[in-house]
Amino acid sequence: MCTVVPISLTVGANRIVPTVAIPHPLGNPALTKEEEKDIRRKLLNKALNALSTEVSEQTVFE
Amino acid sequence: MKLELGNIIIHDIQFGNVSKVEKGIIYINKDELGALLSEDENIKSVSFEIARPGERIRILPVKDVIEPRIKVSGRGGIFPGMMAKVDTVGTGRTNVLKGAAVVTAGKIVGFQEGIIDMSGPGAEYTPFSKLNNLVVICEPVPGLAQHAHEKAVRLAGLKAAAYLGNLGKDIDADEVEIFETPSLKEGILKYPELPRVAYVQMLQTQGLLHDTYVYGVDMKQSLTTILYPTELMDGAVVSGNCVSACDKNTTYHHLNNPVVRDLYAKHGKELNFTGVIITNENVYLADKERSSDWSAKLAELLGVDGVIISQEGFGNPDTDLIMNCKKIEAKGIKTVIITDEYAGRDGASQSLADADASADAVVTGGNANMLIKLPPMEKVIGHIEAADVIAGGFDGSLKSDGSIEVELQVITGATNELGFNRLSAR
Repeated sequence: MCTVVPISLTVGANRIVPTVAIPHPLGNPALTKEEEKDIRRKLLNKALNALSTEVSEQTVFE
Repeated sequence: MKLELGNIIIHDIQFGNVSKVEKGIIYINKDELGALLSEDENIKSVSFEIARPGERIRILPVKDVIEPRIKVSGRGGIFPGMMAKVDTVGTGRTNVLKGAAVVTAGKIVGFQEGIIDMSGPGAEYTPFSKLNNLVVICEPVPGLAQHAHEKAVRLAGLKAAAYLGNLGKDIDADEVEIFETPSLKEGILKYPELPRVAYVQMLQTQGLLHDTYVYGVDMKQSLTTILYPTELMDGAVVSGNCVSACDKNTTYHHLNNPVVRDLYAKHGKELNFTGVIITNENVYLADKERSSDWSAKLAELLGVDGVIISQEGFGNPDTDLIMNCKKIEAKGIKTVIITDEYAGRDGASQSLADADASADAVVTGGNANMLIKLPPMEKVIGHIEAADVIAGGFDGSLKSDGSIEVELQVITGATNELGFNRLSAR
């Protein structure tokens, strides 16, 4: 899980889940706590799905 | 757009009863300047020290370094949108107190602040050891939020520099330099055979004390845009950041950008210097994509054959740098990038966090991870205990005898990515 996808691609990560921003990858201080929790849950679910998906090359899970 | 810089060569700074510039010496009435800076209710106390080249003085933590300048003629004032009212600068005549600077210090604002040694091995790594420095030590009121503290010290530094610059308004300059950029049409007609070159200057805009201001605008909220190079010389761009000291651009760097100066030196002879594209380094991927798209688009619109790109800071801005390079090269425009390296203490690690095959012309400002030892000094201006916590320092950096072992990145301006220093590699 990371914000700067190009760097993840450069260093050779297999499964990449794009996140919010560099200082707050799994949240957003402009939102309410409830909204932030929702973002976090969705990103985590996406990451778990990515982990259980077979990949044959570097894959970005948009 | 044409600007004359009148350089008044300064040999010394002294405190005195009347603030003035006389025979190359700046005299400062500290009470008067102190009263001016104390008008800010966020500043609890202000004090001043003078640090001259060769003195056994260490200044830390250093926030910004600013050269005193004053508009003598032409539109606007120095630091438009920040000190002076918003008006387009870069024309007419500006006087410069050359050889002097204001250095802001005091309680640490953010952990990425710097050290300036005025003598010894540390002085060799910073260009600011060669200047007569008025150090402005600002202590904030208790409980002041970090961002408000940053703003208070930023404005105090700019105010002090404007105050000193004003003393040079009616002084005869020792030398005059002239810089002129024609309009696009005039430039093409005047130099039809010369290659057209633009400068893409990346500005630090990661937020959270890592910001740069353009005519008073927080650059992270702006799209990539264009400046005449002389606007930089009048303070259109101001540092508001506490990013790592070695490769941040202080306001002094923006005023004296060596890429701009070197391109002007070749302008009309070897090349046609068309202008400066300023872009940002934001923390959202979409911003990085958008801003670098615009850098490439504006370079194409200017019809240039080549571009020089300078970075500010390190880490994720390496991605902005590579995006700018890759996208501009894809337009058929040649690029050279200027950066620095975080290659580990032994220099053996990968230097940048990102890379691309099109980045095949690279100038480096040096390896910021290199360990250096700084002997104790007779006098410390600021807070010596900051040595253990600033970026490049570590627990135990500060030894009992007052010496410091640190990474080069703590030294203000050491690996500057505009090339405003002497470190590099072949």
